[in-house]
Amino acid sequence: MTWHVADEDLRAYAHGELAPPLLWSADTHLTGCATCRARLADTTDPVALDAGWERLDAELDAPRQGLLERLLVRLGVADHTARLLTATPVLRRSWLLSVLFLLVMTVLAVRVADRPALFLALAPLLPLAGVALSYGPSLDPTYEMAVVAPVHGFRLLMIRTVAVLTAGLAFNGLATLALPGYGLLALAWLLPALALTATGLALTARLGPVVAPALVGGAWVTLLVVAKSQVHAHDTLAPFTAAGQSAAAAVAVLAALLLYQARDRFDARPMGGFANGGTA
Amino acid sequence: MTTAPTASTGPTGPATLTATDLALRFGGTRALDGVSLRLTRGVTGLLGPNGAGKTTLLRVLATAVPPDGGEFTALGHDPGTASGRLALRRTLGYLPQTPGFQPEFTAFEFVDYVAILKELTDRGARHREVRRVLEAVDLSQVRGTRIKRLSGGMRQRVALAAALVDDPGFLVLDEPTVGLDPEQRMRFRELIAQAGEGRTVLLSTHQTEDVAMLCHRVVVLAQGRVRFEGTPAELTARAAGRVWSSTERDPNALAGWRTGTGSFRNIGDPPTGAELLEPTLEDGYLLALDGENTEVAA
Repeated sequence: MTWHVADEDLRAYAHGELAPPLLWSADTHLTGCATCRARLADTTDPVALDAGWERLDAELDAPRQGLLERLLVRLGVADHTARLLTATPVLRRSWLLSVLFLLVMTVLAVRVADRPALFLALAPLLPLAGVALSYGPSLDPTYEMAVVAPVHGFRLLMIRTVAVLTAGLAFNGLATLALPGYGLLALAWLLPALALTATGLALTARLGPVVAPALVGGAWVTLLVVAKSQVHAHDTLAPFTAAGQSAAAAVAVLAALLLYQARDRFDARPMGGFANGGTA
Repeated sequence: MTTAPTASTGPTGPATLTATDLALRFGGTRALDGVSLRLTRGVTGLLGPNGAGKTTLLRVLATAVPPDGGEFTALGHDPGTASGRLALRRTLGYLPQTPGFQPEFTAFEFVDYVAILKELTDRGARHREVRRVLEAVDLSQVRGTRIKRLSGGMRQRVALAAALVDDPGFLVLDEPTVGLDPEQRMRFRELIAQAGEGRTVLLSTHQTEDVAMLCHRVVVLAQGRVRFEGTPAELTARAAGRVWSSTERDPNALAGWRTGTGSFRNIGDPPTGAELLEPTLEDGYLLALDGENTEVAA
């Protein structure tokens, strides 16, 4: 054992006053350290000691927090929110590796062909797809239980959106660093990404988690094809110009407002996926 | 050694759930077609063949999907309003037909996750509750085992534990005994019988054995309509004088099958002089499915 619980922390623990995450560290340490358990017994009265043992006993089964979850808790995120964030269905290794692979291939293609538009067209679609898949029956095995749970559906959606957006934007950001030759243009995916994600969510409340993102993704691709037909080979496409970026920002804000207005819909009815209602 | 739970046939008490004319359509299919029913405390069985609308009815009553028409109240809450829906969800335990698991979670982690969805935010209290429900379904020993390593019966018990989190007053169980071997099924029936004490439990099944052993009331659903509502004894009594034995299958019988003794068991309108047999719950159920008219026993 390389460390022991400090006297002050042990006294606070004995009085039930030690706050997380120090409390959890102490709980974990006490399970394996006979010295500290003996010190705890000397520090406290029997009743408080029983309560401590009960708490310790409960901690033995506590879910093992991953690195990200521990980090979130240390940053002040409530433990239950951190668990919901890290349990987001899309944030699995397979999904993350797929996204990473797609981005690497795209970055390589951009460098070979000298066409940043390839990356700028793809990057906004990844957070849209991730968010769409994170809330709905297609990838969430516990969706049915979540729908009938008292937790507000919109809150759950926002928690998962934050998780997926953070991961998606971080990946896109890393990919951007691999495109140093294009200056600020290499960041022109950011506002369209936010606009597409917000619009996809706002429409999900009305059209469900399959039709809405498919519609938004399709509209984005159509817009790019039309923009491409209007310019010469190496000109910047309209969505990535200053005017296009302003329009994306406006769409993002408007869609966010519409999404907020429709927030109660996420509780009133399921978000699709049960077209036959399970008529068994 | 497990013992068979026995169904309560005592007084049914005041209604805890009342549904009137529930309707739900999917495309051209009427999944629910004017379903009215009344539940009381204890276990009520919902019997019906595949496609009868059982799962749809359970999903409506569990607030997973709103009905197109009709209304219901459960435990005094009206899910037609946002506040009523929230209040009902706070006292609801739901075991879906195919409970989804995060396979990499342990049993404890999964139930803990559902407890978070049920708004148990205090870590210590939540973990104590998770331990309690896992103990209630006799899974304390495997609480740290990953769900993907558990047997089908154990997974169903994990799902039941999740449904029991926060001591719900209304428990909706969708075919929980499907796919279990006889011993597991018997164990699960014991757990449901325990869960039914003091709670309103609606148990969907297509096994009359489940109803006979567990339920104090039974609802038969077919083609989205209630065909029978009453006690299991009343459903059995419907078949009195309508079950007979013959050496060959009677072509006029509604249904007939060869039994282990070699003779045929027929149900329907017996011919004059037929050798009548003691009816079973299954006979009553088959007759209820065949009947065009709804019958609601007192």
